[in-house]
Amino acid sequence: MSQLSVLERMLEKRRAGITPADLHERVRSLHKHGLKVGTPAWLCLGAALGLSLLGIAAISTTETAIAAKQLVLLGLGLFAAAVAATPNMRWLQIMAYPLLILSLLLLVFVLIPQVPESIVRPRNNARRWINLVVFDFQPSELAKIAYVMALACYFKKNRNYRTLRGLVPLLVVTFVPMGLIVVEPDLGTAMVFLPTMFAMLIAAGGKVRHVLLIVALGLVLAPSMYPLLKPHQKDRIKAMIAQSTGDERYVNDIGFQGDRAMMLVGSGGVFGNGRTHAADLVSFNRLPEEHNDMIFAVICCRWGAVGALLTWAMFGLFAIGALLTAATSRDAFGRLVPVGLTAIVLTQMIVNTGMTIGVLPITGMTLPFVSAGGSSLLASWLMVGLLVGIGLRRTRAVTRESRIFGAGDDAQQ
Amino acid sequence: MATVTQRTPATEFHKRLIMLAGLAVVVMAVLFVQLARLTVVQGAAHRHEAETVLDRRTYLPTYRGRILDRHGRVLARDQASYDIAVAYPVITGEWAVEQAEREARRQVGGAWTEMTDAQQQDVIGRTLPEFRAKEQALFDAICDLGQITPVELDERLNAIRRRVQRMAAEVWENQRLAEIDRLGGDPKNFEFEPRPIAEQVEAHTVLTDVPDETAFEFMLLVEDEPSMLEVRDARRRVNPIAEQVVTLDRSTLPRPVRSDSTSLIHVHGVLDHVLGGMRGEVWKEDVDRRPFRLGGGEVDLGGYRRGDSVGSTGLERVFEDHLRGLRGMINERRDTGERTRTEPTPGKDLRLTIDAVLQGKVQALLSNGFGLTRVQPWHHNQVLPLGTPLNAAAVVIEVETGEVLAMASMPTVAMGAQMTDTQRRYERPFIDRTVEAVYPPGSIIKPLVLLAGASEHEFNLGSTIACNGKYFEDRTRPRCWIYREVHGFQSHGPLTAEDAIARSCNIFFYTLADRMEMETLLKWYDFYGIGRRIDVGVSYMVSGEDGARIPAGQVAGHLPTFEDAQRWRMDGQYDYNTLIMGIGQGPLTWTPMHAANAYATLARGGAVRDATIIADDLSDDEPARQPPMPITSRAVDAALEGLRRSVTESYGTSNHIRYDDLSTEPMMNAEGVTVWCKTGTAQAPLIDLNRDGEIDESEQQRRLDHAWCVGLVGPAGSNRPLHAFAVIVEHGGSGGRVAGPVANQIIHVLQEEGYLPGANTAGTSTTADATGGGGAP
Repeated sequence: MSQLSVLERMLEKRRAGITPADLHERVRSLHKHGLKVGTPAWLCLGAALGLSLLGIAAISTTETAIAAKQLVLLGLGLFAAAVAATPNMRWLQIMAYPLLILSLLLLVFVLIPQVPESIVRPRNNARRWINLVVFDFQPSELAKIAYVMALACYFKKNRNYRTLRGLVPLLVVTFVPMGLIVVEPDLGTAMVFLPTMFAMLIAAGGKVRHVLLIVALGLVLAPSMYPLLKPHQKDRIKAMIAQSTGDERYVNDIGFQGDRAMMLVGSGGVFGNGRTHAADLVSFNRLPEEHNDMIFAVICCRWGAVGALLTWAMFGLFAIGALLTAATSRDAFGRLVPVGLTAIVLTQMIVNTGMTIGVLPITGMTLPFVSAGGSSLLASWLMVGLLVGIGLRRTRAVTRESRIFGAGDDAQQ
Repeated sequence: MATVTQRTPATEFHKRLIMLAGLAVVVMAVLFVQLARLTVVQGAAHRHEAETVLDRRTYLPTYRGRILDRHGRVLARDQASYDIAVAYPVITGEWAVEQAEREARRQVGGAWTEMTDAQQQDVIGRTLPEFRAKEQALFDAICDLGQITPVELDERLNAIRRRVQRMAAEVWENQRLAEIDRLGGDPKNFEFEPRPIAEQVEAHTVLTDVPDETAFEFMLLVEDEPSMLEVRDARRRVNPIAEQVVTLDRSTLPRPVRSDSTSLIHVHGVLDHVLGGMRGEVWKEDVDRRPFRLGGGEVDLGGYRRGDSVGSTGLERVFEDHLRGLRGMINERRDTGERTRTEPTPGKDLRLTIDAVLQGKVQALLSNGFGLTRVQPWHHNQVLPLGTPLNAAAVVIEVETGEVLAMASMPTVAMGAQMTDTQRRYERPFIDRTVEAVYPPGSIIKPLVLLAGASEHEFNLGSTIACNGKYFEDRTRPRCWIYREVHGFQSHGPLTAEDAIARSCNIFFYTLADRMEMETLLKWYDFYGIGRRIDVGVSYMVSGEDGARIPAGQVAGHLPTFEDAQRWRMDGQYDYNTLIMGIGQGPLTWTPMHAANAYATLARGGAVRDATIIADDLSDDEPARQPPMPITSRAVDAALEGLRRSVTESYGTSNHIRYDDLSTEPMMNAEGVTVWCKTGTAQAPLIDLNRDGEIDESEQQRRLDHAWCVGLVGPAGSNRPLHAFAVIVEHGGSGGRVAGPVANQIIHVLQEEGYLPGANTAGTSTTADATGGGGAP
């Protein structure tokens, strides 16, 4: 073979690149010839384990007792994941709607004022938690997962979501759990539903222009929703705007948390402060919620930008694993659930780390796997279990015609 | 083909997955940029800021620099003392209740929460007396150690309670309105939970200026209950010379007030206009100008923070940065326990040219109690009854150096503090009349006009100008002062320059002014300092409404501009204004400081050296010198000769005072000195002082002119004056007879203090004793 022809072939290959189709085929062939249990969902599990351990290490910076408890909860999480991975996809689909209804009922339950405080104890005037002795269970966490499963079922069974009118029931179904969570109030968690819905809609083949239209409409309407916000929510938006414009007016009140978080993130520099110094900095600067919503600030303070990038990289790995699981799945449910779960995890991660570094307003949102807290960790591990379950059960019988992207698809022809 | 059917549907889904992944990557890119900005770009700054909380800082107070007189006497200094402040809950009695409840909980332990309210109250009732007793013991100790009666203490505590309650009500109302504004809702039924304001938690000063031992006793007293009381370090600024009892000789006074005894004059507020004072609160302007916290955890140890005192008036304000020291700091790292100590740097001293004793004496002899600044028979005052007190000011400058030895303005700030508002409006005690009040120069300008005219060769020294009583043939005005009915429409006839000054002939100086024309005259007046702020050291800048910097503390006086002259040429006022400006009337004003300074310039043969009260050379840049004028020494000699004759010759206006029985006495009676002197009258316009829109009787009485006496003094037989002085007595009436005797006494005290030879009163013990130490409470 002449030198030239080798170069030409290489060039040709470069030009062609790796198409999504190639990728799909390659993973499929890997699966065909390789291990039966080989699934990209293991990447999710690895990433989740890494993040959880990182979280425990970060929590132990200032709160060793909570870190120990978190380690126990991690065991519980792994068990929950195993449970979630057990039922096959048919069962999951059967369970989807009842699960959603159950979680909606629980969401209503926490809002009932007559429920005794021993069961639902409001914190900071928010009714979000049900006391399960070992940990406080947050129904909204369950609702997110149930919502993703139910939505996947809905997309699988219906095709009208490709019309504008078909989007209406979708939006209605979305706004019910969202509304209940907003009332708690927990605007942060409620907001997760929208990106999740859009991601699943796009993945399911919904028209991009519909999504853009809704997003544009939302952006136009958002300012008019501002007066409906609670005072503390307005404060947080004000504080963030002030913070990003260098206005130090609110540094000691409504902007305190954001200001401290940014300062501690910055203090980590590139390589971090090490454990004891980071602990001193975090506790003496009185960072609120340092083991919980603000755990990313502790990570940055202790391990620096390197730690932050590592965290993000593990979330990236999780997303890659989940999306590959979706990519290799042959079933609409199995394709859409990983997309929805990825959307939840990434949205929470982006909102949480974004607020910590000052590009988004402060909102009560945990960093999945990493933040201390039973509900959050268990829910996150439930997702991992679902992903692994889906990954392990790729439908052998090839569905000739996927319900997604059926004939008459406008995008291709 | 199976593969094809499998691939085609898959591709679009995968594209969409990649699209979503791409979206996530874009969002993450934003976060990445922000992370890089925080950690890499601003990382060091953020780390520094975060680490500042690891420092526990204690600040050590510093001493403000002293202000000293020319002989090193202390005019102002910091004095350490302590304030005793009682915690507000103790003042209200809540402290005992809180402590009792805490003690009750401690005694009962875990069972507390199971007890009913009544049971709890019962236990509290048993523990309460102990704490009530502690409160009472503290109050007893305050009365005992602070030497106040229980009634006085109650008054003080009530005053604190009232003040704090009023403050809290105001703060809460503002907070409530802000909440309503923020949250919306019905203002009437709005639920607002007031939180205690800082003043309801803090301690409040009950005893001030407590000595060390007492402070220590208080510290011991509350050793086991430190929350009850605070012993505060309270440095005070004291002016040890502010209150002086001055002994003045009366043997050289005019006959009606003369005696062989001496007078003890108590002077309140010696030099207080000049020294100024402090304010105990820090304003936003101070913090803006020099903030204590610089951001990023850095502090400026000389910056302003709550509780600092700040120079608010006078030299304390002007030299704030010079006098203010740097506080000290003890820095303890909370993580490592490492301690670093920065010692406080005291402020720099400020040395003045003022002689504190001379200043006290000059103020004493300007005091109404001494008699010269009351309406006296020899004043021939047609308006005010005998004995009416008059306000006055005097300046003494050393000719050679321009150093101000004394600058006295009566009434003083301290006297003003005792006045009613109405009195203050009339007497204006807070104005330093030596540098902040302007008067028309009147006849005291005449030697300076001669100097100008002769140097400009508009007048040939040795020749004469004839005075016919009036300047124009066909008009009676402008006229000479002597061309009046009371004097039988006399005239001076032909006059030499020297006699023209001695006799204070108007016609002579109208002529000089007319010959020079207004523009030349303006040039010379500018040279003498009229219309220019002679910065003796007490002027400072304030921010005007539009943010512009406005000079304050000293005034410039008024001098018409060339444009004014041009305008007057147009509207026909030029000639008249030129003439009257030649005798120091018309649109001209200056301060006593200007007058003394101009005479010192004359005595130096025209060398300009601005008067100053600051002995240390603190200015970085040399002040712009006036361009020298073409002064001839013959002109200087003639002007001085005129001033000398004014005193020595019987026709001189500064020669004698005349009584109602037409007998006379020399105005200047100090022996062993030569006096060069000029008296003058400054027209006083009627002013609506209380701004009620009409001129009432009290304002009517202030229609009399101000009396000037300005001059030079030196050893007898010398033609080199050593000191320049300027005296003004407000509304005292015409010229020399009012201000002259004051100037005469100034010369006497200059002799007593050794500034002039030949004290004829060497026998009298005229020492001024400074009642220093405490300062006014």
